[in-house]
Amino acid sequence: MNGTVKNSGSSFGVAQIILFISIAILVIVVAFPVLLIFFNAVWVEDHFEFANAIKVLWEEEEIFQALINSLIIAGGTTVGSTIVGTFFAWLVTRTDLPYKSFMKSMFLVPFMLPSFIGALAWKMLLSPNAGFINRFFIENFGFDGPIFNIYTYYGISAVEIMYLFPFVFIQVCGALERMDPTLEESARISGAGLFTITRKITIPLVMPSILSGALLIMLYSMAHFGTVAVLGIENGIYNIPTLIYERIHQSGGSFASIRTGTILATVLVISAALIIWAQRKILGSGHYQIIGGKSFRPMELKLRGLRWPLLIFCFLYIGFTIILPTVVIFLVGGLSTYGLPFTLENLSLDNYKFILFEYQVTKDAIFNSVWLGFVAAIITMFAGVMISYVIVKMKVRGKGILEFLGMLPFSVPGSVIALGVILAWSGQFGINIYNTVWIILVAYIARYMAFSLKANSAALEQVHDSLVEAARSCGATMWQSLRDVVIPLVRPGMFAAFFLIFLPALRELTVSIMLYAPTTRTIGVAIYTLNEDGETVISAALAGIALILIVVGQTIINKMTKKAGE
Amino acid sequence: MKKKNILLCVAIAMLSLLLTACGGGPKQQSSGSGKQAAADNGKKLVIYTSMKESLIGPIVEGFKKANPGVDVDYQSAGAGKLMAKIATERQSGKILADVIWTSEVPDFYSMKNEGILETYKPSNLKELINPFDDYDGSFTAARLGTLGIVINTTKIKEKPTQWSDLLKPEYNKAFGIADPALSGTSYMSVALLEKQFGWDFFHKLHDNGTRIGKGSGQVIDDTSSGELSASLAVDYITNSKIKKGAKLALCYPPELLVVPSPVAIFKGGQHMDLAKKFVDYLLSKEAQQVVANEGTIPVRSDVKVPEKFGLPTPKDAAERGIKVNYTEILPKKADTIKQFTEIIGKK
Repeated sequence: MNGTVKNSGSSFGVAQIILFISIAILVIVVAFPVLLIFFNAVWVEDHFEFANAIKVLWEEEEIFQALINSLIIAGGTTVGSTIVGTFFAWLVTRTDLPYKSFMKSMFLVPFMLPSFIGALAWKMLLSPNAGFINRFFIENFGFDGPIFNIYTYYGISAVEIMYLFPFVFIQVCGALERMDPTLEESARISGAGLFTITRKITIPLVMPSILSGALLIMLYSMAHFGTVAVLGIENGIYNIPTLIYERIHQSGGSFASIRTGTILATVLVISAALIIWAQRKILGSGHYQIIGGKSFRPMELKLRGLRWPLLIFCFLYIGFTIILPTVVIFLVGGLSTYGLPFTLENLSLDNYKFILFEYQVTKDAIFNSVWLGFVAAIITMFAGVMISYVIVKMKVRGKGILEFLGMLPFSVPGSVIALGVILAWSGQFGINIYNTVWIILVAYIARYMAFSLKANSAALEQVHDSLVEAARSCGATMWQSLRDVVIPLVRPGMFAAFFLIFLPALRELTVSIMLYAPTTRTIGVAIYTLNEDGETVISAALAGIALILIVVGQTIINKMTKKAGE
Repeated sequence: MKKKNILLCVAIAMLSLLLTACGGGPKQQSSGSGKQAAADNGKKLVIYTSMKESLIGPIVEGFKKANPGVDVDYQSAGAGKLMAKIATERQSGKILADVIWTSEVPDFYSMKNEGILETYKPSNLKELINPFDDYDGSFTAARLGTLGIVINTTKIKEKPTQWSDLLKPEYNKAFGIADPALSGTSYMSVALLEKQFGWDFFHKLHDNGTRIGKGSGQVIDDTSSGELSASLAVDYITNSKIKKGAKLALCYPPELLVVPSPVAIFKGGQHMDLAKKFVDYLLSKEAQQVVANEGTIPVRSDVKVPEKFGLPTPKDAAERGIKVNYTEILPKKADTIKQFTEIIGKK
């Protein structure tokens, strides 16, 4: 008896320590920097001044315009992606389109293409006077001007739609596949026509998924740096992240611009929080629960004469949005200088060789990105397992704080994290890692913690306590049951977390562009700055190399997850 | 409770991993945490420069060859970005760079006034052409950059000979100037042109649809691709692209834009001797020949610029260039940029 009491007492202590460490990690990595941003946004000299923060937002024209631009671009992107994503999702799940499963995997490819690389490609294709497409029409069909100017709100939104619509696509596909077809069936038996069924049954059932996908895109687009930076800045179109970047970079370190940055960042965090709140509300509403369980295949709509034209349309879409930009990137990367025609004598592998073997900047960038991605993924994966374990499995007082903190990483956009780590770790609090790789690493951990928490808690939730109890009652020690039962079951989640972090980190731009120093450029930063410096061909070649790295990485994951699934 | 113990172990292992990661760190060739590497061998010189790879690359290579065992890191970026970087670094207590070499002359005057530049008169000073009347060793010109009008030869057939040619219809909505907030040479050219022709000239340029580009390199690539028909361009960047086959030509109106690119050493750097060695090397005949071969004007009369570039001799350049009093334009810098952006950027 005594032993039991004593043991439970000590285990209580251990639980507390683990909880404490988990909370400490989240506080140090995420909460503290974000709090510093809020604090600096409203703290002027030695007192709080909320009115001033609002005044800055309303009265400085450039800042107000950036706010509006963010809304316009995010709005356009959200509406467009939702339409595109829902349409294609419907096409591959509910119709008799040929090669459906192949098409479904093709529509996920845009996920792999970083949108700022896409933006670079579209700049080459559709810049008003020199874009290859525009020039083709002007030279061959006697057009007076460009057929499409990419340097506009439409252009920016279009590019974002191309590479973001899979967010909606995946969600809606899932919902349509999981939806109980008996609901539609019974409506049909009761005499409802297809139109009525779609309007009264299908759409209301799928709506939560559509909306939640749309909100994800909104969240992403509001905080998105790359596309706007490549296509907008030159023509005076700024959104919030690009304005924060410009202000910080041109400020000469003056505090006024950092403060403006913090105010803009606060706006981003608040909108992100609102979006996430709305998303939870929608997903939590009753509709969603009707979808569930696996039952019969849903009825497929016969496309009849439209089958092949629609398939061709899908192929054209893929060709236009993925293959064309990729080809352009590789071709431009092979040119000796930008502006030359794509003839054999102008094309070579010299730029690629230069990047990989000679040019210190790009060699460093590739090394840094791989190293940062790897270390960030490992650390975040383990931290994520531990924190998720506390949240999902442990019963310990004070867990509520951790649950709240665990929500934070989901709602903090990249540029906010970057600004936060600058405030926290550039010497004001005793630690100065500004201008080193470590500050980028800390920011990456904060940025990708959400991915790890999500993957790991999903995996942990599937492990029922009874499994461990069963192992224990058969005489296994705690360590054995962890090793033989829990870890094997959680491992796919950990793997998933690792790659969910490693690959995005490899092509990261938003965070590292704010934090890089001479020798700590990442691949994303190198591509962006080389392009900005007018080294168009070199930056295209590096983008090509990045694409190869990403595709190889993705293939390895697909192989591994397939193996894990077997 | 054993489970908890194991978890605790994992947690501690993780924390220690984090700590070792922060403390020890990986072995990286010459990259990664520059600070750490610098502390390791004490032989790593850091240079901030606005010169592009085609110019700074060969010079650093040559310097390394002349001084075996020495490691050099350089950051090549627009002068505006570098100054912002330096300002932030100063706030956090330490400037990472040992040497700075850009084309934004007023920056050097303001750094000198703030007392962060080491006074150093290069050993070969007597052999050099010095464009600064008030030279005191805080910074030394290492190149006389020129800017001209670069045209896309497929778009514009007749080479411009005067600045006023830019007001002709073929330049309508097709002439670009790099953003003076980002590019030092661009800012200097704006200041020089304003001195010579007044803001009135810029109003006329705006009426003819002149555009603001990004960096000084990008406007040239945009001209090469045909997005612009012409732009205000830096000599050696243009010449390196012409060498690679770009269909461009660089033209110089009589009022020459000459922008000296000074080099300076930061006070209190860890590699003072190395920095001085680098400055000496940069001004040596060997390095200045590299400068000349890239198509920009060296600061030594004993170095010949290849004729194909059509550049004036160093002496000529110093004489023909639009004269300006640097200490006079220094306080007006922010205003100049603002006014330029307002005039040209007006919708």
